[in-house]
Amino acid sequence: MVNMNEIINELLVKSKKFGFDEAEVMIKDDKNFETTVYKGEIDNYSISENFGLSFRGIKNNIMGYSYTEKLDENSVEMLLENAMNNLKNIDSKDQEFLFGNEENLEYVKINQYNEKLNEVSNERKIEILKKMEKTAFEYDKRVKSINYCLFENGETSHRIKNTLGLDLYEKSNLSFCFLNVGVEENGEMQSAHSIFVGNDINFLNEKELAYEAADKAIKLIGAETIESDNYPVIIENKTFASLLQAFSPIFSAEQVQKGTSLLKDKINCKIAASNISIIDNPHMKGKIASASFDAEGVPTKYKEVIKNGVLTTYLHNMKTAYIGNVKPTGNATRGSYKSSIGISPSNFYVENGNVTKDDMISEIEKGLLIVSLEGLHAGLNSVSGDFSLSAKGFLIENGKIIRPVNQITVSGNFLELLKNVKTVGNDLDFTMPSGSSLVGSPSLRVDKLTVSGN
Amino acid sequence: MIKRNIINNVLDAAMSRGGDFAEIFIEDRFNTAISLSSGDIEKSLSGRDFGVGIRIFKGLKSIYVYTNNVEEENLIKLAKEAALGLKKEDVNKKIELMKIEVKNNHIIRKYPASVLSSEKIELMKRAYNKANQYDELIKQVKVNYMDYDKKIMIVNSEGLNKTDRRTRSRIFVTSIAEKDGEMQTGSDSIGAHKGFELYDGEVVDDVAIEASRVAKAMILADKCPSGKMDVVIDNGFGGVIFHEACGHGLEATSVAKGNSVFAGKLGEKVASEIVTAIDDGTLKNEWGSSNIDDEGNPTTKNILIENGILKNYMVDKFNGRRMEMRATGSSRRQSYKYAPTSRMTNTYIANGKSTKEEIIKNTENGLFARKMGGGSVNPMTGEFNFSVMEGYIIKNGKIERPVRGASLIGKGSEVLNRIDMVGNNFKFGQGMCGSISGSIPVNVGQPTIRVKDITVGGVKEAK
Repeated sequence: MVNMNEIINELLVKSKKFGFDEAEVMIKDDKNFETTVYKGEIDNYSISENFGLSFRGIKNNIMGYSYTEKLDENSVEMLLENAMNNLKNIDSKDQEFLFGNEENLEYVKINQYNEKLNEVSNERKIEILKKMEKTAFEYDKRVKSINYCLFENGETSHRIKNTLGLDLYEKSNLSFCFLNVGVEENGEMQSAHSIFVGNDINFLNEKELAYEAADKAIKLIGAETIESDNYPVIIENKTFASLLQAFSPIFSAEQVQKGTSLLKDKINCKIAASNISIIDNPHMKGKIASASFDAEGVPTKYKEVIKNGVLTTYLHNMKTAYIGNVKPTGNATRGSYKSSIGISPSNFYVENGNVTKDDMISEIEKGLLIVSLEGLHAGLNSVSGDFSLSAKGFLIENGKIIRPVNQITVSGNFLELLKNVKTVGNDLDFTMPSGSSLVGSPSLRVDKLTVSGN
Repeated sequence: MIKRNIINNVLDAAMSRGGDFAEIFIEDRFNTAISLSSGDIEKSLSGRDFGVGIRIFKGLKSIYVYTNNVEEENLIKLAKEAALGLKKEDVNKKIELMKIEVKNNHIIRKYPASVLSSEKIELMKRAYNKANQYDELIKQVKVNYMDYDKKIMIVNSEGLNKTDRRTRSRIFVTSIAEKDGEMQTGSDSIGAHKGFELYDGEVVDDVAIEASRVAKAMILADKCPSGKMDVVIDNGFGGVIFHEACGHGLEATSVAKGNSVFAGKLGEKVASEIVTAIDDGTLKNEWGSSNIDDEGNPTTKNILIENGILKNYMVDKFNGRRMEMRATGSSRRQSYKYAPTSRMTNTYIANGKSTKEEIIKNTENGLFARKMGGGSVNPMTGEFNFSVMEGYIIKNGKIERPVRGASLIGKGSEVLNRIDMVGNNFKFGQGMCGSISGSIPVNVGQPTIRVKDITVGGVKEAK
């Protein structure tokens, strides 16, 4: 067996001889279990363990990266050599940094590991799925197919050690449950899903997940398009969260400094309605993007990115903070051990207002409630802020939901949308996690969005 | 890659609980990714992926495990753990592996490892300069270069024992045009199952110029209006419409459990009779090609729709069991971290009879989608959406003016029936397709086609 400590130390010691001024090793270990049930039987079952080692070293303020998933007698040399070759390729003059073990460093303690999750037997997980699937089928005779009934749990740990004295370790575990239900009436298909994310499965209620997905899909039966026009629109909590997530790169200082963010030169400017505050909170209990340090080892911190409509900060890593002459905000991330340092939000959400969704609906004479947006990876331009997205929802007339709507697109500009938010709901909820971010929002009412249908 | 006797022992362990099929997939891959922004190389990454995936079937149950700890003890431990999913008594079954040589149809002339990174960088800077000098409206250019060289080995309990090597190269250029504080992007790429010989000649210049041409056209464009229109979709990457709207619904992944609008419709008319659609993983050195698929079957030319009639699906071994259909050499995965499943390779609408000029001339009012962006589909309902990167309004059979920000939505089955003109200028475009077995290289393709009555979502405010 390979002794990991020896490899790390060998890499760090040899890095100096190899010509690096300073160097860092990051090790990631993941374990995962996943199973799906189809018509009462297990149909997929998967176990995995994954290891990755990333090396990076600085010479003359430039950083070189390398990684491997295989450790053998050549690995140390290969990693050092690849990193040095990569470093020589770089001609960007931006100064790069490793984070040192500074005095009086304070890391907020975050416990993201629940021992009890490991005690849940695979039999129990399969039972949950069988019950969830059965409940969904029994909910309504129009439930015709379930193409995902999935349970997944995993744990991940990572360690960062560098020549500046930093040596950090963090581990977390998580479970994930996903149900996708298809319903049919008179040849018309509709589908909807429900999810559970968390590391305490006592909060997982398989029956409610089944009801939720089936109910959402059934409510869409009979959906038709509507007349093209401008409508007042309520965007439901998780749906707005998914839009905010898709536009989250505009908050990255890297995009700003490259001139490809709409928020360039907007610090201390009013960019949203006064009732909008957006928080980046890496210390939320039980939320998956919580962590005590970021990918560079910098302590994470709570911040109001937009306060009452005013942009107060971008999200930074060490490099962008140095260029912007501010302190790093603890938002450095790495997609994986294969990638270099980037920037992304942690638990990132629009703060709750105090109006219920029902009250918002009752105030609309003629408008739309949008419950899903598709094509977020393609139908929006995060450089211009323009979006044109396929949507589903419900027509509202005289304060009441009249019928489901599909085959429409809603379009607009993200910054315009933020400025035009009239009412903020009190039902903050989070969308599916993406990378190391978790994005949330309450339902929001906007006075005018362009809807294209008939 | 791993010693033969170890492989045999692992297969035995995987079959030890009464599985009826077991497979080991081993992958060793070297990656390079370099990115350039504003003329400077900003990122240069390289590394090695290595791991093993073990798959076991019993009837309609599939078990998958993967690891990159490939010591014999650990592999056997994992194989046994996987087999535990079956809960059966121990059985002993000896497997004889036959080494089958895979004929290589995709000759590589310049393996990435034999090319200095300085040459790769020189290529990127050449693309940058071309794109940047295209017009003064171009304010930023990004160039992404990637190559990989991977060796895989597949053995299974039926005695199959094959190795294959896949080398892929791609360069991607994004140009940003700026005017009056507004920004618009244009992009273009080229990729193939090739080494550095992909860039012989001046092909990279064409990619760079195309990216800037689109960005410039779109910064000068009006906002696209909304409504139902006849849409002319140009050749090449326009094929993404078939990929999203229909291709995913023809994958056994959706069809096997009846979660596709195309399930149960073999032999039926599903498209207008001028539509013939093909998935062909055998094409020499194409981006989505390989000698064998990721469960060891030779890739095939698979006619999906012929003159409007549904002829076949894309089928993998496991879903083939449920569907009682033969595998079509379509089983693919991003890496050992994914169990393979039926996916597209090089998927296209075949040439028809019209010329592009005729198609535009015959369109009174409509949208010309010269360049498509990405999209997605819900295979259960067939609803798709995708974005138009470069669009033009057609008036009285003539291209009138450029428009930006359009997206197209609809239902796959309906769109197929509304294709009323098919051009004769077939071309491929390259993309990455993400689905349950990861992100894989695929070609999309078509000649210029016309689709009647698509809902166009524009960004122009309604009056």
